[in-house]
Amino acid sequence: MRLLLGVFIAFTLIFGGCASKDKAVKKDRIVVWHWMTDRQEAFEELSKKYEDLTGIKVNFELFSPPDSYSQKILAAAQAKTLSDIFGVLGEKIDVASFIKAGHVVDLTPYLEENEAEWKSRFFTSALAVTSFEKDNAFGVTEGTYAIPIDLMNIQMVCNNKLLRQAGIQRPPQAWEEFIADLKTLKEKGIKGLVSGWAETWMIDCMVSNYAFNIMGEDKVIKTIKAEAPYTDSDWLRVFKLFEELRDSGGLASGVVTMDNKYAEQLFANEKVAFAFNGSWCVNVYQGMNPKLDYSVILPPEASDAYPMKIWGGAGSSFYVNARSFLSKEAVEFLKWLTDKEQQVFLVNKTKNLPSNRQALSGIPKELSEFADDSDSITHPNMWPFQEYPAVIEAFTKGVQSIIIGEKTAQELVEEVQRIKEKEIQRRN
Amino acid sequence: MNRLNKIFINTVIHSFLIFVGLICIFPLLWMLASALKTQQTVFKDMSLLVNSPCWSNFYIAWTKGNFSMYFFNSVLYALSVVFGIVFISSLAAYAFSRLKFPGKNFIFYMFLAAMMIPLPGSFVPLYVLLVKLGLANTRTGYIFSMINVGLALSIYLLKTFFDKLPRDLEDSARIDGCGRLRIWWNVALPMAKPAIAVVTIFNTLNVWNEYILALIILQSKSIMPLQKGLMVFQGAHFTEYPVLMAGITITIIPIVFIYLFMQKFIIKGLTAEVLLG
Repeated sequence: MRLLLGVFIAFTLIFGGCASKDKAVKKDRIVVWHWMTDRQEAFEELSKKYEDLTGIKVNFELFSPPDSYSQKILAAAQAKTLSDIFGVLGEKIDVASFIKAGHVVDLTPYLEENEAEWKSRFFTSALAVTSFEKDNAFGVTEGTYAIPIDLMNIQMVCNNKLLRQAGIQRPPQAWEEFIADLKTLKEKGIKGLVSGWAETWMIDCMVSNYAFNIMGEDKVIKTIKAEAPYTDSDWLRVFKLFEELRDSGGLASGVVTMDNKYAEQLFANEKVAFAFNGSWCVNVYQGMNPKLDYSVILPPEASDAYPMKIWGGAGSSFYVNARSFLSKEAVEFLKWLTDKEQQVFLVNKTKNLPSNRQALSGIPKELSEFADDSDSITHPNMWPFQEYPAVIEAFTKGVQSIIIGEKTAQELVEEVQRIKEKEIQRRN
Repeated sequence: MNRLNKIFINTVIHSFLIFVGLICIFPLLWMLASALKTQQTVFKDMSLLVNSPCWSNFYIAWTKGNFSMYFFNSVLYALSVVFGIVFISSLAAYAFSRLKFPGKNFIFYMFLAAMMIPLPGSFVPLYVLLVKLGLANTRTGYIFSMINVGLALSIYLLKTFFDKLPRDLEDSARIDGCGRLRIWWNVALPMAKPAIAVVTIFNTLNVWNEYILALIILQSKSIMPLQKGLMVFQGAHFTEYPVLMAGITITIIPIVFIYLFMQKFIIKGLTAEVLLG
């Protein structure tokens, strides 16, 4: 028995203890924590290049899947052991809590130096997502706190081959045309539209797009500020679009219980003619079906009153740890990483849109189609006010109910307005 | 007529069992078939028989996923943790079953209550504690944490088993001059083999498949467990399914062997109502 106990202690301490002293604490290298599995190889190549150039080592440490990464970041923040550079996944309110707890360097002075040379490299929408305006609702000091390494936006993609098969000459530009196309596709036995609408944020995204298109940004913000009701005829029109989608019979079956990965499989395998998806899909479709012939289009306009807006902004952003001994070196590395040459390298390797506007030339056709509409980008994180989560949940789940025929648009706007009023009362 | 009836009933029962067996084995067959397809065919070809198998997926999974390094780590963790759990929990369970000491029931119920706390709920405090102890990003820290995770259930299982063991043998051993520890080692433990087998397989599976706690506690790639290797193929937007399936196939091989090796003990353990309490 003594032998048994001895073996256990020896085993644990010798094998467990020896080769295990904390290597992340070493101060001779910049440590970057991230969750981007598909970019790890490219990051490693870039870090090697940076070491050759400057002699400074950069360790990209991958922690995936994103949910677990978020847990790690949270635990490390509590223990004050965050890496020199890290990403924060979540809503703006989560980022605000990291900033207010003193974990994040305000990058504004670095972005503004040399006549804002660094800042001028980026698309405005990319920086807007990680910036906080003066007197923002989160109580964060005005400034930019993260550097976007890539950009994303969410639009529609259409399978050119399937459209041709159905005799559709060009992708739809107006909503009526789109609904007519869905009906034609149905007649030809081709599924019309797919999207991962089990992930309700994608419904939120499409609702926002059409709300901006039908009533304009001012009225959307007014509704969020409770200065206009959801029962307004414009909001009713927005939700009626989903009734029209349902009635066209052109939605892929099971769309409201479908996650986006499955929706992407259907589109990549040429089972569906249209998909509502983000720019990351270029990389996904390339992997699943390199011969897929598709085009990127703005969601067809339902009104000519206001321009169509699409969700987008920074795809992935990096923050610098305010407690890091290497914070200055970390900032310098981020400057180098977002330089044109490195951005072009990342685009070619990972098929994501670059955050540096100078890196757009020479990118793949489908990516450039996504990039063409960068001026139409909006995102809740850029808006001065955010809707209550309970209200967002009500209308996204309500849209799911409309699609499966359990609710009408009229019932939905009334319900959403009721929840909005309840939330206002609860918070006052 | 009776014979015909018997044949009919047997046919129905066996058909049903074969059907259930196929349902159980289907995911494994699908995994194996997917591991032999390419990224393009995995979404198109739904058959279980692959025409031109792509064996290179296993090589890619092993090399790109750094499986040799992670494999060593997982074996080390599984051995240390299971050894630690069996050692500590059998001692504790025996004490709870046979010794009389103040607060015995209270402490035992505290262990039971610990089973109710979901692991993710304790991630942050556990990590902060390990940082303060200087054990974050160490193998020792991870091993101790995992032993802690498995103790409550194992103590519960072993205690209920020890409670049902006849005390006569222990009394005889005591008359022969054995102390408490010697009785535990020479009498109780050998009789508890079926229960220990159940504890071993439960905890081996738990350690082998654990990833989230490792991700939070550990940073250095060199000390991460095998599951980390699988994550390489699983992106936020894009997953390399064939290579991932090849990787999963590799990771389940040791578990299948352990299960086969311990099968007779596990069946004994189950039939001895070790799990019924």
